[in-house]
Amino acid sequence: MSLIVWTFVIALLTAVACSLAGVLLVVKREAFISEGLSHAVLPGIIFAFLIFQDRSSPWLILAAGLSGLLMVWLAQAICRSGRVYHDAALGIVFSGMFSVGIIASSMKLKNVHFHAHCIIDGNLAFAPIDRCEFAGLDWGPRAFVSMLFCLMGLLAFVVVFFKELKLMAFDESASHLLEFRPKLLHTIWVAIVSIVAVAAFETAGTILVVALMIAPAAAANLLTKRLSTMFVISGILGALTSALGVAISLPMSISPAGPIASMSGLVFLSVVLFAPTQGLVSKWRKRNRQRIELLKAVQQKRLKKVTTDRQ
Amino acid sequence: MGCLEFFTDHTFRTVLIGTTAVGATSGAVGCFAYLRRQSLVGDVISHSSLFGVMLFFLLSYWLTGEGSKSLFVLIPGAMVAGIAALLLSQTIVTKTSVREDSGLGVMLAIFFGTGILLLRWVQKASPPIPGRRGLQDYLFGMAASMTQSDLMMIGIVAVAMFGTIVWLWKELKVFTFDPMLTQCLGFRTRWLNVLMIVMLVSGIVIGIQSIGVVLMISMLVTPAAAARQWTNSLGKMVILASFIGALCGLTGTIASALTSNLPTGPVIVLSGVAVFGISIVFSPSRGILVTWLKQRPVDALKRTAVRGGKPR
Repeated sequence: MSLIVWTFVIALLTAVACSLAGVLLVVKREAFISEGLSHAVLPGIIFAFLIFQDRSSPWLILAAGLSGLLMVWLAQAICRSGRVYHDAALGIVFSGMFSVGIIASSMKLKNVHFHAHCIIDGNLAFAPIDRCEFAGLDWGPRAFVSMLFCLMGLLAFVVVFFKELKLMAFDESASHLLEFRPKLLHTIWVAIVSIVAVAAFETAGTILVVALMIAPAAAANLLTKRLSTMFVISGILGALTSALGVAISLPMSISPAGPIASMSGLVFLSVVLFAPTQGLVSKWRKRNRQRIELLKAVQQKRLKKVTTDRQ
Repeated sequence: MGCLEFFTDHTFRTVLIGTTAVGATSGAVGCFAYLRRQSLVGDVISHSSLFGVMLFFLLSYWLTGEGSKSLFVLIPGAMVAGIAALLLSQTIVTKTSVREDSGLGVMLAIFFGTGILLLRWVQKASPPIPGRRGLQDYLFGMAASMTQSDLMMIGIVAVAMFGTIVWLWKELKVFTFDPMLTQCLGFRTRWLNVLMIVMLVSGIVIGIQSIGVVLMISMLVTPAAAARQWTNSLGKMVILASFIGALCGLTGTIASALTSNLPTGPVIVLSGVAVFGISIVFSPSRGILVTWLKQRPVDALKRTAVRGGKPR
């Protein structure tokens, strides 16, 4: 396959995995965990790289996932101690961890892969060149293989634990009473989201992780009221977003991350405007129709009164 | 270079004064953001300001033929983008069933993503746009690129912020803690809300050059959260937070100047986090250490009571 097709495929996989992972974050009003995760995985990646000196080592993904979990745990611990508001705790912890990562990378890794701009918008355009070779065979680009594994794992988890996840998302106390262990499940879910964020971070950078985790899921939330449908719609919108973004980035010959992020916003805004029941346009039309019906009813009543008075 | 030579060096003195002023201003403004629980709103504004920076850079290029990186051009741009992002997300949240966190997150994606798109395009564009070198430093900050005129702009914003805080002190105070009461007392809450937004945005965009758009959230929140641990009065908190912010700016700049390859912005952020850590553990009234020491005998007593009053 040509490189452009590979870029398309990798962007598509990343988008679908991220937009599925974001659904529960949006439903549980924790959208900013994705912003925190996308920053907090950096020190994990950098330190694992400094220790193992191998960019393709699976330890990198594991270490980054752990540092994402550490961020969520630290923010919750600070918040639960009752001394700092939750939003502030999250902001302090993720920006602090991100600074550690930046300082480590600029002091130890001058001119290596982790360049400042790769952190923000990744290297999706070069991802197809970096091949994954295992047991003497070429299995396709490394990013493709790792994203495919992430997507499979995520899908399997969602399908197997759908009922538990649904209960956790909408009624945590009921889930606790029925002994489904919502806290443990939430930790596992955050761990999975954090691994997806890491895999996406390497190819797409921080900006895409945030954009693709929040925008398609928030748009899907306006289009449906069922959780299962929301997963499907979110995945479709994510795929659409990435296809549009890559298509725009090719003629401009820039990294696709920025265009995909702005396309995700455009898709969201058009859903906000044109969603069938929740959209601004349909709400406006509904209100207009109701006003006209009310006026008509008032007028008919008045006419009736006038005619009966004359008789 | 020795320590003393640094302070006599002209460039270094400019940068030092600049980062200190940035730290003090964002620390003071951050108190209001922290108490109104708008920390993550600050994150969205600071990321979004990249779009405004790129837009006004390109505007100055089209108008004058050379892209301007002076803060007199870029700070108004950043303010426009920050305010636009905030107002747009507020509109969506009030008009539809989208929750606040998702609305803000999407605005971050749109404005920051489009900012990155423009940044990459400007870097690749041919024929090259004059003045485009160093634009990517706005992501993580490059305090060393501060000039005298940049310092002047930072000074104007800082003086305006502190002036507003002193001038409208009682209005801001009552609005921060109780917007309903403010309305009942006859203050114009709509204007106060606009003023709060403008203050928040100014407190953020002042630092985009030295700290960078990605990490500026920390300068807003961390000094305020640290100062909150030491006092219960808003006045003391604002003074303490601006002092902590200034101190972080000072230490970060000196540390990164003394060591090679140490970026200024992240070091300033980390010194803020260190002050926050010390405050949350050692604060005399509500620190973790004091609470633990007070709680220990109570816990021991409880354990004895559970065992039926028999000591171990």
